[in-house]
Amino acid sequence: MSSLNGFGPIHVFAALALLGVGACRSPEPTQSADRTVTVYVSTDRVFSEPVLREYEKRSGVTVNAVYDTEETKSTGLANRLLAEKARPQADVFWSNEPVRTLVLKSRGTLAPYRSPSADGIPPALIDPDGYWTGFSARMRVIAYNTTTVTPADAPQSVFDLADPKWKGQVAIADPRFGSTSFHVAALYAVAGDEKMDDFFRRLKANDVRIVDGNSVVRDLVARGEVKVGLTDTDDVNVAIENGQPIAMVLPDKAGLGVPVMPNMVSLIANAPHPEEARKLIDYLLSADVERQLAQSEAVQIPLHAGVKGPKNIPAIDTFKPMTLDYTKAAARVEDVTGRLATILGL
Amino acid sequence: MWGLRSTRTLVIAAATVVFVVCCVLPLASMLAGTFSGRTSVGSTYAALLLDPRQRRLLFNTALLGIMTATFATVIGAPLGVALARLELRGKAILRVLLAAPMLLPPVVVGLAWISLGGDTGLLTQLAGRDLLSTWTHTMSGAVLVLTLVLYPVSMLATEVAVRRIEPRLEEAALIVARPGRVVWHITLGLAAPSITAAALVIFVLAASDFGVPGLLRVRVYTTEVFTAFAALYDFGRGAVLTLPLLVISTLVAAAAVALAGERLITTRRAMSGRHPPLFDPWKPAAVAAASAMVLLALVLPLAALVREVQGVRSWAEVVAGSGIAIRNSLVLAAVGATLTVAVGLGLGYARARARGTVGIIADLACVVLFAVPSTVVGVGLIGLWNRPGVLGTVYGTDAMLVLVCLARFLPLAVLGLAAAVRHVPYSHEEAAAAAGAGWARTISTIVVPQMSASLVAVWVVVFVLAFGELGASILVAPPGEATLPIRIYTMIANAPPANVAALALLQSVVILSPLTLLAWGLTLREAR
Repeated sequence: MSSLNGFGPIHVFAALALLGVGACRSPEPTQSADRTVTVYVSTDRVFSEPVLREYEKRSGVTVNAVYDTEETKSTGLANRLLAEKARPQADVFWSNEPVRTLVLKSRGTLAPYRSPSADGIPPALIDPDGYWTGFSARMRVIAYNTTTVTPADAPQSVFDLADPKWKGQVAIADPRFGSTSFHVAALYAVAGDEKMDDFFRRLKANDVRIVDGNSVVRDLVARGEVKVGLTDTDDVNVAIENGQPIAMVLPDKAGLGVPVMPNMVSLIANAPHPEEARKLIDYLLSADVERQLAQSEAVQIPLHAGVKGPKNIPAIDTFKPMTLDYTKAAARVEDVTGRLATILGL
Repeated sequence: MWGLRSTRTLVIAAATVVFVVCCVLPLASMLAGTFSGRTSVGSTYAALLLDPRQRRLLFNTALLGIMTATFATVIGAPLGVALARLELRGKAILRVLLAAPMLLPPVVVGLAWISLGGDTGLLTQLAGRDLLSTWTHTMSGAVLVLTLVLYPVSMLATEVAVRRIEPRLEEAALIVARPGRVVWHITLGLAAPSITAAALVIFVLAASDFGVPGLLRVRVYTTEVFTAFAALYDFGRGAVLTLPLLVISTLVAAAAVALAGERLITTRRAMSGRHPPLFDPWKPAAVAAASAMVLLALVLPLAALVREVQGVRSWAEVVAGSGIAIRNSLVLAAVGATLTVAVGLGLGYARARARGTVGIIADLACVVLFAVPSTVVGVGLIGLWNRPGVLGTVYGTDAMLVLVCLARFLPLAVLGLAAAVRHVPYSHEEAAAAAGAGWARTISTIVVPQMSASLVAVWVVVFVLAFGELGASILVAPPGEATLPIRIYTMIANAPPANVAALALLQSVVILSPLTLLAWGLTLREAR
């Protein structure tokens, strides 16, 4: 073996290193450095990216977006924002459920901003302190398989899921994460600990299937592997649009009320580009964005009056929403997570 | 031989600084934060020691790691011996096929097995009844999935180690012993440190994996760490809950050191000549076993993915926009692997030539640092680098992704390369020094050529791991398009299952292609 042979790998490695150094990027905007905004987005990328690209086209501002994974796949952008708090990289946080936003508010990561675009949004969905504004809402729903369950037989309340007739036929996403964590925290805040502990014990006895995420719940129901499940409106709508045998019920219309989860947008404290951040927030809270999200597969319900809602979803003024203090619900998350870990054996 | 003022000291010192900065400081800063953060340190530590639920989770974690390491070694080590010693037709292709499962993200393999073995899965449809669904979401299912993904680690390590064995040792032993005893005491005995090291790596990879246990609903300790971050946003709790995982890894590493020890016989000559045909009688069984593993570990999971992919409406839609992410992943993984191997070579050399307690402590430190969950690494890196000044200019660039690779995989590279350096007789270095060669020249012309196969193997493993890394990368990737795994996982939510399967296939093809070319190139070089 010639003495040069052993350098083969070394030469390759050196070339790769040089190539890599040359290829390393810094985030250089295509336009001037002032016309850049960085947004961390927890709303599903498939829905949020088109909205942000549209903003780029209209405004000429470069949008550097950081998207999130499903809540069970990684620890998420909220943790990144908390870790970067001393020297924020993000300007705006766009969340698809309240818990993350409220945790960030409680940790001093957000700054108040009252956008003029928020005019027309119900006051209950705007933070009184101005740290977040809600828009384009989803709801928590009970999905059911239309092949095996008739509309008349479908459960009408979350509490019906503990009925023995649904034994082994109920799926929910892991209640420690994401929108399901918000939902259970809201239930505990509204219905009380005793009732909810009892419900989850009965649900456990009913052999509830706890799965990775809301989209998994939807898939199990659509495939008929379970008959019913708790998930979100956008998840079910994707399956309906794909022609799958699935439909949804707005739970507890006559009781506690239907849990409504608005998207929330916030300004990051000490954001690097505060002016561009405010402009992006104004855009996201506009009726135009709500129209885009309503008409997309996201089927998110507009909160501005006069904006046409999605076709498969009732308008927000046609049902009784759950009367909820989002801050109080978010504050229950840690305690509820511990309770459910014990009750459900997570 | 070479004094403290030699190039050797400089190189090892520089490598040590990189190791401390990249691997030690992120964890140290996270743990230091537990004493000043919002978490009540006393209550959290008490919960660790006193909560029966936590102890049960620790037991499950250890069981998952040990079972996976055991089965992966039982499968991988014999395959490695077969690749090293048997004349097999199409060996280069077979090697790539056997190693390919390692390229598949474990979660993807888990999804594939659910698709195969679920109550409406392919196997149920073929068999006409549900055979596996009740077993899929269990510890056994998790062990199976992780074994199928990780056995190539044992296989590659064993092949490299067995190739390094001096044939004359086996020939001499055959004079006085039966082939079976020679295989056990000489061949496998000399390869044992590498096999043990690989088993240890597999243990850590399995015990620190979250994706597969989470997917299959197996309750292990990593889910506790994940919950602390993802559900409770409590960095202090997450960092403290990492400690039991590190303790388990340390105990297993100590056991491995005790079992394998420093057993190694080096000779004055490098490998030369033809090995005696000790394994030829087992050739048919080896071919059958290799074929079975390719079927189980590669063909079936890919078939499940391909089955899902049939529902894709538009491949263009799936692939569109992924070009930048693919480029970033390939380049950054290659750069990260290269730097990791370069730094790891210096530290691996130092570890291999160290003796006694220093060496053992170095091994344990590497195992512990390798076991640190990716989220802890990511949050620790943010804390260290997201600062005003020079450090801040690095933060927000792709260099952070290279730092993730170093932070997560440098300890692994050190372990692997140390095992390789041990096979290079120290007498060769002594001879070079006696001839007047400096340390740098000795390393580059004597040591590195003798371990080039190991260098490539370690590079490949680090490249694969870096390519698929998600947990820390998603925390530090600069805004804008980042890596392919980040792109895939941010698109999974509400993407049709067929599109998810298509993206998983895309990732597998993207990473398999350059590695196949590399393997082919190296095989051609060996043939010459």
